[in-house]
This record gives sequence, C-alpha cells and structure tokens, in this order.
Amino acid sequence: MKYILLDYVNESGWPELTREEQAQWLGVYRAYMEAMQKAGVLKSSGGLQQTQTATTVRIRNDKTEVLDGPYADAKEQLGGFHIIDVPDLDAALSWAARSPTSLHGVVEVRPMHEGTFLTENILNYLKAR
Amino acid sequence: MEYMLLLHVDESGWPKLSKAEQEQGMAAYRAYTEALKQAGVYKSGSQLGPSSSAKTIRLAGGGQQVLDGPYADAKEQVGGYYLIETPDLESAVSWAARCPTVGHGVVEVRQLVR
Repeated sequence: MKYILLDYVNESGWPELTREEQAQWLGVYRAYMEAMQKAGVLKSSGGLQQTQTATTVRIRNDKTEVLDGPYADAKEQLGGFHIIDVPDLDAALSWAARSPTSLHGVVEVRPMHEGTFLTENILNYLKAR
Repeated sequence: MEYMLLLHVDESGWPKLSKAEQEQGMAAYRAYTEALKQAGVYKSGSQLGPSSSAKTIRLAGGGQQVLDGPYADAKEQVGGYYLIETPDLESAVSWAARCPTVGHGVVEVRQLVR
C-alpha cells in the first residue's frame, strides 16, 4: 500500500534557528530519509518552497481567478512530503512517528489511490447501490 | 522547474452527483491527465484516500500522539495532487487553470525545492 506523509511545519521557525541548529536538523532529515531508503519503503519525496510563493487557481462565475498565497492559512504550512510503500497503515504510522517533523510540526498520513482519479470513489459508489 | 498541484476539493459533493455526472467527472480528469502526459510535463499524480481516513502524528506532552483525521479542517480537503515539470510558474499556473478541479474546488500551485 502506498501512503503519502504530508509534513506540516511552522515556516517562520526556520530563519530563527542558528546555522548550527539548521545544519543539525538537515542532518536529522537526511538520516530519516536514508533509513526509509535502506528499508526499501521510500518511493519519492520533495520539499516545497515557502507558502508565500504559492498560487491558487479556481473558477468562479465562469471566471478564472488566480490568487497569490496558499489555499489554507493555518498555523502550520505544508512544507514537504514523502511517498512510502509499506504493507499496512500501522507500518506507515510507525514511519511517520519517526519523522523529525513530528517533533516540531505535524505529519499527516493519507492512503493513496493510484491510477485514474476518482476510480475508487466510483467503485465505492457502485458497491453502495 | 517542478511544481506540485494540490487539489483542494469538497469531498462531500461527490456522492451527491448522479452516475452520469460522476462518469463525466472521471472522464474530465482522465483527459486532463492524458493532456499533461502528451505535453511531457507529467511527473506523477494520485488521488488520495478520503480525509476521514487520514491520521496525524505530533509530539504532545513528551510523547507522540496519533489522532484521526487530517491536519486542517477546512471547507475543502486535499483530494489529490499532480507533480509537473514546466519552464516557469506561469506555465504551471496555466496547467492548473485547465485542471477540472478549478471548476468545483481550488488548485494550489507550489514549487518544489531542488
């Protein structure tokens, strides 16, 4: 089963760290990703640039609206993600619990549905009928 | 440049659609994914399980706490994503504007750190 681990972090905290502290955290994240790689569970990962660079797009009243800034204005912001392939949710949760992000932010674990968008929803919908 | 398109959707809307409308919705996403692939900008993408199946992990009172549900309790939920590679933000935004999600939800465009 594939799961995505979404890292929600307080962006404003990073610039307040000393250079040594930043180097320490980078090392901790590197070690975490190496551990996932060694275990053969890490499929991909990525860091996102700060939310001030985000753009949101929507259509309202037939007009496309393009706005600066992220969708949600919460205390923590989505800062990165890891996609892992593990046997079950328990394994995904135990990897999430080892994430450095859980020490200073929040890790959200979501199962992934690969392939065509909405396929799974359609199946559930048909089963329910 | 790599960009992540985060699809924020109102999950509760889907079950209210007729079967024909749901098939239309699926076809629109299939066509969009196909267009991304044909343009050579598609890297990966996936629908996510419903936010009700999400768990969040955080440190609380010296121990790690696992809670049911997504991090943010907003009107729309992250329902899926696309990773695309385009020359600049402008082209990423123009791809986002073609995503079926913009008709019923919000697409958030975020550049990846490389």
